[in-house]
Amino acid sequence: MSKGGGIYVAGDSWVHRLDGAVKLILWLIWTVVVFMFLDLRLFAVMIAIGVALLWSARIPLRKMAFLFWFLIFFTFTNAIFILLITPTFGTTLTGTNTPLIPLGYNTINKETLFYVLTLSAKYITLLPLTLVFILTTHPSRFAASLNKVGVPYKIAYAVSIAFRYIPDLTQEFKHILNSLSARGLGITKEDGTIAQRMKNLTLVVVPLLQSSLHHIDAVSNAMDLRGFGAHPKRTWYMGMKMSSVDKTVLLFILLLLALAIYLKVSVLKGFWYPL
Amino acid sequence: MRQSIWKFNTRTVVTIGIGAALYGATSWIGIPLIADTQLRPAIALLAIFGALFGPVVAFLAGIIGHIISDFVQGGIVWWGWALGSGITAAFMGLIFLSKGFNPQEGQVSRKHLLLFTVYGLVGIVVSLTFSGLFDIYVMNEPNDKILAQVALASAANILVFLVLGLPAVWAFAKRNRENTNLSVDR
Repeated sequence: MSKGGGIYVAGDSWVHRLDGAVKLILWLIWTVVVFMFLDLRLFAVMIAIGVALLWSARIPLRKMAFLFWFLIFFTFTNAIFILLITPTFGTTLTGTNTPLIPLGYNTINKETLFYVLTLSAKYITLLPLTLVFILTTHPSRFAASLNKVGVPYKIAYAVSIAFRYIPDLTQEFKHILNSLSARGLGITKEDGTIAQRMKNLTLVVVPLLQSSLHHIDAVSNAMDLRGFGAHPKRTWYMGMKMSSVDKTVLLFILLLLALAIYLKVSVLKGFWYPL
Repeated sequence: MRQSIWKFNTRTVVTIGIGAALYGATSWIGIPLIADTQLRPAIALLAIFGALFGPVVAFLAGIIGHIISDFVQGGIVWWGWALGSGITAAFMGLIFLSKGFNPQEGQVSRKHLLLFTVYGLVGIVVSLTFSGLFDIYVMNEPNDKILAQVALASAANILVFLVLGLPAVWAFAKRNRENTNLSVDR
């Protein structure tokens, strides 16, 4: 992870060349569309489109593998948890009840299993476009695109600072932890009881805070010296002009949104259950 | 002199950025409780940023920090919970507005701490209820399962707030009080 680089993967595919603002809008509208539905057919189509986009961005698989497995792990534990706590929730959506797996205190039914499958697909559908957005947009462009879609530039700049300082603060946090454990005040298993370790963790907070306050001083002085905030608007070094490809993609996004609203209103109203 | 909490100068912008980075950099630490619900010490940082810089800065730092940490470790953004982080922070930041409260110069009374506790507890419950409702209505999660998660997450956050957040603000104020309250030696 390079400084300010975040988890951005440099490249030169057409997805990389797209305006950050267009990718941001695509990601947000994608998210809203996923929120609106609970329909496995639609999610399957969307996952296919998302994977195709990821493939055309030519991002190395190992970059995505970790995030992918993390989400699979999450949805899997989530699914198990739902099945254990509310084994018949599916019935409230479909009105039918087909018992399948006895649990002792209750029975998991077919409806709930299908519901859990759909819900997991809903989470997974969110992933490809988030990956397209964060892996192909440079953090500096990210701030420029936030500003372009209407976020005040001061907030956009704060986002950019946050991206820039996460590696630094993580490093500092580790330094403080190390220096504390050198004095026998660590937070690992060998350092005592849970209460003792929690107490040691409280000791990290104040030094970490002090060093952050120093950062704030240094950075805001430097920015003031360069005249940050002198004008109501600013331009971005990493900002881009919209190309014709950008405009075409934007048009497609709007069409997709319209299609999604049409589907929601007249075709795929609720939970889809074919069995 | 304290300025309006809505006024954004360079320092405010940087504080939001660094606060978000701090929250983002530490929110991966956690003790898993039940499926996908953790006890996260980072909540304490929201309390501290709220107390030092007010509700608006804390709200933005909480939201931005949460979204960035989701990007880096989870792949997808949990909007309900990200907004929840912001709301918690904003409630905790209300203490900043109360009269005579100034931890930067060591001015924190016991009454302030009591008020801070109330704001913190209300904030945690309100924000997690919001996150739960978001998951039920937007993600179509089952109510009973969300109820279990919200209840446990609230308990965990309250614990962190009381054990880590409150004492840290107190310690910070105490440290600054020792530097500022000089008396004349006769």
